[in-house]
Amino acid sequence: MEMNEDKKDFKTNTVGDIFSDNPKIVSRNVSVYYNDKKAISDVSLDIGSKEIISLIGPSGCGKSTFLRCFNRMNDTIDGCKVEGKIFLDNENIYDEMIDVVPLRAKVGMVFQKPNPFPKSIYDNVAYGPRIHGLVDNKKDMDNIVEMSLKNAGLWDEVKDRLDSPGTGLSGGQQQRLCIARAIAVSPEIILMDEPCSALDPIATAKIEELLQTLANDYSIVIVTHSMQQAARVSQRTAYFHLGELVEVGYTKHIFTNPTDIKTQNYITGRIG
Amino acid sequence: MNKSLMNAKDAELIVKSSVLKRRRKDKRLKFYGRSTIFIALSFLVFLFYSIFEKGIPGFFQYYVTLDVNLDQKRLDPKGDLSHESLYNGDGRGLVLEALYKVIKPKGRKEKKSAKKIISSNADVRIAKMILNDPSILGKTIPITFAVDDDIDSFLRGYIKRDTPESDRRINDKVINFVDILVKENKVIYKFSDYILTGSASRSPEIAGIKGALIGSILTLVVCFFLSFPLGVATAVYLEGFAPKNKITEIIEININNLAAVPSVVFGILGLAIFIGVFGMPRSIPLIGGMVLAIMTLPTIIISSRAAISAVPPSIKDAAYGVGASKLQTLMHHVIPLAIPGMLTGTIIGMARALGETAPLLMIGMVAFIVDIPNSIQEPATVLPVQIFMWADFAERMFINKTSSATIILLVFLILMNAIAVFLRNKLERRW
Repeated sequence: MEMNEDKKDFKTNTVGDIFSDNPKIVSRNVSVYYNDKKAISDVSLDIGSKEIISLIGPSGCGKSTFLRCFNRMNDTIDGCKVEGKIFLDNENIYDEMIDVVPLRAKVGMVFQKPNPFPKSIYDNVAYGPRIHGLVDNKKDMDNIVEMSLKNAGLWDEVKDRLDSPGTGLSGGQQQRLCIARAIAVSPEIILMDEPCSALDPIATAKIEELLQTLANDYSIVIVTHSMQQAARVSQRTAYFHLGELVEVGYTKHIFTNPTDIKTQNYITGRIG
Repeated sequence: MNKSLMNAKDAELIVKSSVLKRRRKDKRLKFYGRSTIFIALSFLVFLFYSIFEKGIPGFFQYYVTLDVNLDQKRLDPKGDLSHESLYNGDGRGLVLEALYKVIKPKGRKEKKSAKKIISSNADVRIAKMILNDPSILGKTIPITFAVDDDIDSFLRGYIKRDTPESDRRINDKVINFVDILVKENKVIYKFSDYILTGSASRSPEIAGIKGALIGSILTLVVCFFLSFPLGVATAVYLEGFAPKNKITEIIEININNLAAVPSVVFGILGLAIFIGVFGMPRSIPLIGGMVLAIMTLPTIIISSRAAISAVPPSIKDAAYGVGASKLQTLMHHVIPLAIPGMLTGTIIGMARALGETAPLLMIGMVAFIVDIPNSIQEPATVLPVQIFMWADFAERMFINKTSSATIILLVFLILMNAIAVFLRNKLERRW
């Protein structure tokens, strides 16, 4: 099995340890093209089970593109082509036999801008379980909605108005609703694409707090522009620059003692 | 100091003087805008005035009230109250007798003139009354009859008394009789029984738009049920599923071009394909609807595509993100959000179809059809064609009726648009 190939034999330009002891996702030599333009090139990285890993780097460095490879959201973009291999639990998700529907149920996603459906709070959370047929009666569905909202730390704020529109909530609440919607289908991994960039510091603090709780159950990959956020929430950090994975390592190490000069420049604020 | 840069004071002066110039230009633009709107509005007012000025009188006409002896034997010769028997009865004779009682004509010549006063439709009116309520048979009751269109025109003053008799459509004797009827208070001017409930006729006093209105409704129903599903499905496919390649591009260009094709061309297409190749009967609303559906399709496709592509991509991302398939994303999120826009486009297309004449002429819907159509497979005509035909007739009364029919067409259009606005506001999600 390729996933368990000898780590010492694997060659990469990335500084630091791309491997994880208990990997959930293993990506090898991933390149993404938008038509003829290469967006990321030859990225290899393991995502550990129940770890939070943040992807940082200047705008346009390909970190979001890389994130969207894990649930094949790039498929929805015309002219986007992915090369390389990404294994999720020993299964290559870019295999022809793989269907994106169960994949996306397993790999949830939270987007940059809170995007609740123009439906009620209840329906927002219940939508995923409903289309996947996870439950077949109202009581179980109520239970899923309640548990998801509780786990997303939103239950106490909305339990009395589950029928009111999800779009009527505040930005931070909307984002937590989106997290509840993602975890309602019981995923194993949650991808977050700059989830706090549209939120104020208080809402951001709430989400960050939530992330720590969620990490008990899920592997989380978070793209962020805020180095402080990366430092606060993640165990590991990966630094992207111009489509390449420059350096990856334990967050503490990356922020205090980066090896690569580009990482140093970015961390110290000289670029980006 | 940099030599190429201007002194701040000089710059300020130049900017100040140019501000005045710019403000004048703004004002001029505003003036132009207002005057164009004013010109457009005044044309509209003129149009409405001329239509209503002629059209309102078209809804009214002159009637004569006569005490008719509804003799059972003469009206119902077979005695079985059947259509056939009643329509063969001598209603005309009884009406004329009632008329002679009032105006007392002397001799055969005068009687002949008197016959021109009452509309030729009088016997049909009696037959219909008896069919409704057979108990009136054998009684003498007052009944109002439409007067002949020439008499109507005379009463309205279009035919003048001082015109020499030889140049007049009605002679002195008839005028004399009409004067007697007016003096006896037998003539009334009231809302026409025929304009809304009658169908096409060469006699203007009994001509109405019911047949054309129903023909229009049937045609539009066919048009809607063909063009809306097809148009929306095409738009959904092109926006959601079609690969971006040369073939899709050619299809798109062709759809856009079709929207600009003169409507008569679609009529020729309908004539050649539906009637020529498939041998379907001409003049029927089914074909009319099919032809108009083809004509309306590009409009619906273009506006539906615009509506679909206006749905925020974040909603699609959200649906894909929780694992919805393409179809689920479309059906649960994209189409519900796009429906108001799709409806708007459809109504614009349908409104255009409602006013369309040329393609329907090609498939024979211009035929003179007296019967009111009961199904989409019976010959029919439509409102704009009816207006076109009436505008072509010589009788004075048709001038008013043409405008009346135009008013009805406008009311129909406004009604359709109102429904569209109502539906759109109802379906539009404000959250």
